[in-house]
Amino acid sequence: MTLDAQIPGGAIAEKWDRHKFEMKLVNPANKRKYTIIVVGTGLAGASAAASLGELGYNVLNFCIQDSPRRAHSIAAQGGINAAKNYQNDGDSVYRLFYDTVKGGDYRSREANVYRLAQLSVNIIDQCVAQGVPFAREYGGLLDNRSFGGAQVSRTFYARGQTGQQLLLGAYQSLMRQVHEKSVKLFARREMLDLVVVDGKARGIIARNLSTGEIERYAGDAVVLATGGYGTVYYLSTNALNSNVTAAWRAHKRGALFANPCFTQIHPTCIPVSGDHQSKLTLMSESLRNDGRVWVPKQKGDKRRPDQIPEDERDYYLERKYPSFGNLVPRDVASRNAKQAADEGRGVGESGLAVYLDFKDAINRLGVDVIKEKYGNLFQMYQKITDEDAYKVPMRIYPAIHYTMGGLWVDYNLMSTVPGLHVLGEANFSDHGANRLGASALMQGLADGYFVIPYTIGHYLASVTLPKVTTDHAAFKDASENVQGRITKLLSVKGNRGIREIHRELGRIMWDDVGMARTDASLRRALQAIPKLRDEFWQSVSVPGTPDNLNQSLEYAGRVADYLEFAELLALDALERRESCGGHFREESQTPEGEALRDDANFTYAAAWEFTGVGTKPTVHKEPLTFEEVHPTQRSYK
Amino acid sequence: MASRGGFLSTSVGTKLLIGVTGFLLFLYLLIHIGGNALIFFGPAVFNNYAYVMEQKNPLLPLIELALLAVFLIHAFKTVRMFLANQSARPVPYAMKKPAGTPSRKTLASSTMIVSGLWLLVFLIIHVKAFRFGPEYDWPAGGRDLYRQEMENLSNPLMVLFYILSMTVVGSHLFHGIASAVQSLGLDHPKWTPRLLFAGKVFAVIIAVGFMIIAAWVYLNQPGAGRVRV
Amino acid sequence: MNLKLRIWRQAGPAAAGRLVEYAADHVSPDMSFLEMLDVVNEGLTKKGEEAIAFDSDCREGICGTCSLVINGVPHGPDRGTTACQLHMRRFKDGDSVTIEPWRAAAFPVVKDLIVDRSAFDRIIAAGGYVSVNCGGAPDGNAIPIPKDVADLAMDSAACIGCGACVAACKNASAHLFMSAKISQFALLPQGHPERHRRVTAMIAQADGEGFGSCSNEGECQAVCPKEIPISNIARMTREYVKAALLAK
Repeated sequence: MTLDAQIPGGAIAEKWDRHKFEMKLVNPANKRKYTIIVVGTGLAGASAAASLGELGYNVLNFCIQDSPRRAHSIAAQGGINAAKNYQNDGDSVYRLFYDTVKGGDYRSREANVYRLAQLSVNIIDQCVAQGVPFAREYGGLLDNRSFGGAQVSRTFYARGQTGQQLLLGAYQSLMRQVHEKSVKLFARREMLDLVVVDGKARGIIARNLSTGEIERYAGDAVVLATGGYGTVYYLSTNALNSNVTAAWRAHKRGALFANPCFTQIHPTCIPVSGDHQSKLTLMSESLRNDGRVWVPKQKGDKRRPDQIPEDERDYYLERKYPSFGNLVPRDVASRNAKQAADEGRGVGESGLAVYLDFKDAINRLGVDVIKEKYGNLFQMYQKITDEDAYKVPMRIYPAIHYTMGGLWVDYNLMSTVPGLHVLGEANFSDHGANRLGASALMQGLADGYFVIPYTIGHYLASVTLPKVTTDHAAFKDASENVQGRITKLLSVKGNRGIREIHRELGRIMWDDVGMARTDASLRRALQAIPKLRDEFWQSVSVPGTPDNLNQSLEYAGRVADYLEFAELLALDALERRESCGGHFREESQTPEGEALRDDANFTYAAAWEFTGVGTKPTVHKEPLTFEEVHPTQRSYK
Repeated sequence: MASRGGFLSTSVGTKLLIGVTGFLLFLYLLIHIGGNALIFFGPAVFNNYAYVMEQKNPLLPLIELALLAVFLIHAFKTVRMFLANQSARPVPYAMKKPAGTPSRKTLASSTMIVSGLWLLVFLIIHVKAFRFGPEYDWPAGGRDLYRQEMENLSNPLMVLFYILSMTVVGSHLFHGIASAVQSLGLDHPKWTPRLLFAGKVFAVIIAVGFMIIAAWVYLNQPGAGRVRV
Repeated sequence: MNLKLRIWRQAGPAAAGRLVEYAADHVSPDMSFLEMLDVVNEGLTKKGEEAIAFDSDCREGICGTCSLVINGVPHGPDRGTTACQLHMRRFKDGDSVTIEPWRAAAFPVVKDLIVDRSAFDRIIAAGGYVSVNCGGAPDGNAIPIPKDVADLAMDSAACIGCGACVAACKNASAHLFMSAKISQFALLPQGHPERHRRVTAMIAQADGEGFGSCSNEGECQAVCPKEIPISNIARMTREYVKAALLAK
């Protein structure tokens, strides 16, 4: 298989315009004759379903939550980037493009990123028109802030709830189409298989989570917007129901999975308090603007923070990175925290935390200023930890936050299965090896509002699609496959809890495929995962019946898929013998201990082809070329 | 558009109607207590006031009808709303507690339907006794309403019933006035809290005021020694 | 600490339900309330017994999925929090905790503690949006909006659609939920072209779904995890009156 990314010709700034013209159109009167299945209702899914409905397509939209408004995009706090240059500080489409390619550590596709930067401008306009209450200045114009170490202020925000407001905007547009009957909504449905007919994606099998019924849906194209796979680590900042199942089942039906090892770890999360912990809570990165990160100089120093004198503290980020200090990028901050903990200098009961201290900022600016800036975060911290961060330093630790890898897509966002399109976090394309802050919302909405409405039309107009109904053998086959797996899960009747096994998988992944990876740790994980998978199928206990709402069954199915997917993630990490972005290989570092990319050997996207559970997948490499932004080694010294 | 019955039949329309009628009834009570307080000044003043109100006012039948209509709408709409609200939660909670501040839930707010129905019964008795009771002529013109009031409130059980009913009025108004303000959509960060407080003060003034009048009348029956208040 | 739980179990929408007692032992004060339930469920699962079904997703108070009435108060005893943000340090050893689902005719129970809140989606579908198709939007800064207006709109827009307002209201009214969305669009200029149609359509939809009326008690604002005040309901009333008076 050769991977053709379908990148249009011409200068980078003209590619998208040219492509828009070159793409085929579907006659407006014919659009309603096409049925498009959209799975997911996050930023990408809801915006895609709404826009396709507006164009006149017949859309079937699915979500696992009880309402489309609850998709995990809702939890994004920070903001959304756009190259508006409203602040007159020198921003431009080219600069946003440049920053994103560089931030992705030269493992993303230039043409996609440029288009993303171009479309960022339209997203803001669209959202404002929808009534998204972005923050404003006293003059009534939109406010911006600088975010994630960017040199320009290009981040638009709605308090600490930007994701929520953008999602509600998309959700409302979606509900408008539901009202207009162009979109049919199916909530509490989990996609459990992709149906491929004559080599093209023509439908899905979904389980009705309320009734347990296995349902078949046929269409002319399928759009997956099912998010990332962060919960393979068990503990992450992702919502509990986030999972890889839809993407993984599509992968098993022929869609290549690209760069699964690119995962992002967020440095400022509230640390784990015990085994019972079900998820980790992120606190906005903006805290690092005023907080100082430190650990005791001495190993195993169990004194209270206020008893540790100034000269026995190690402000390690300020020490190692004098020019960026506490504001180094996410991966650098995360890795250094882990290093401190590994050295036995971590703080708190578990030793898996570092201090983020606001004492100096409070002395300098006054407690009121700090309250004004971070009051809600301090409150949230207190709710969870019962500690007052105005008086004692916060304890923070990194946690899995976002996954840059995903199903491989071309410039049209189509996977290697014709007709199957993948949007948002579920695809791999725009963030390379590391995502910049405030870029995830931008990508989800760009894909859904402004890319897929064009490219799916082009696909539909380019192929002939004979009518397929859900009686087709492929549907029968896929739904039997789904039924079989459910029966199998329920018939193990072992004595191990599903959560317990998931937690164990998470521990393997965090310890051996986490922030810093070595050849040995990855090989260890590749041994442990199949063993745990076998154990799962022999000893898991899934109570209840299939014909009813059964959360244990839902959960078990997702963990079962993770037990297959985790192996791919570890394998991808093993084969990528370089450090780049969110993937740090200890064997590949500079003499100063910084990440060292290997551009000569690894400037490609690794797209994996499924060959069976437990057998080694085949890798296909899409070479990446950088004509505009020339690779340089990142340095934050 | 709004459902079949039009603007006032929706949940918000119903609320508006109940709010407006409730507020009008509250205004009526203010006038009523003002007039009744004249009883302290003796039969001449009191009966003269009644004479002016009843005989010199060609609009009286209209006002009476309007008042009756307002009252009936208020009662009918609230009872219907109450019944509809019951079907909005067919399965009750095994345990339900008030949520605390900033909720405005009080004993008064939780018993509006009970206090309202009590007042319905009270009003039938009250109107029967005063509007349609035995009439005595007052030499200077009009009815001797003073005597009528004295006689109606000569029975200690009746006085007790009146005082109890005034407590119920107070309770109904304690939530009702504030509720009407909200139902009418009046809302201002500075003025609303003051308005709500004033409503409670008025509720207490009206309830206590009527109680004092009833007690005073009972204690100042003709023949008994006058008690000063 | 050890707790005694009384939890509503109901096999399906048509089945009869009842409160069942469970023991939650060795509960750590650092656990969240839902993690305490996870532990109980893990125990049940290992024994092959069916887990207690309850809804949750983000577990940080923003998705609006969790929906438990805890000891008689939706989302439990803390102000401005969802059930998932409640921590066990709020309870003490030996406490008895009653857990029930949202109760409203418009929120039928699906199973155990899970209810169907799609009525909220239908209220939004009736008019809770600005009708702009993707593509033709003017520049984001074309219409300046005073900061205080934008901030007030954001206060209303913060609603997470959890339904606690309905659960707390003695009338199971959806007025706070609706009014938050109606307020957001009544405040922002983008919402003005459709304001009259929106308010009448959304109210009609809510009434048709079987939600109750509003008695101005304000239990809703006391349990709202985003502390949305009933001044929104007053604003909705004003919008409604304007719509009725000015409609052609």
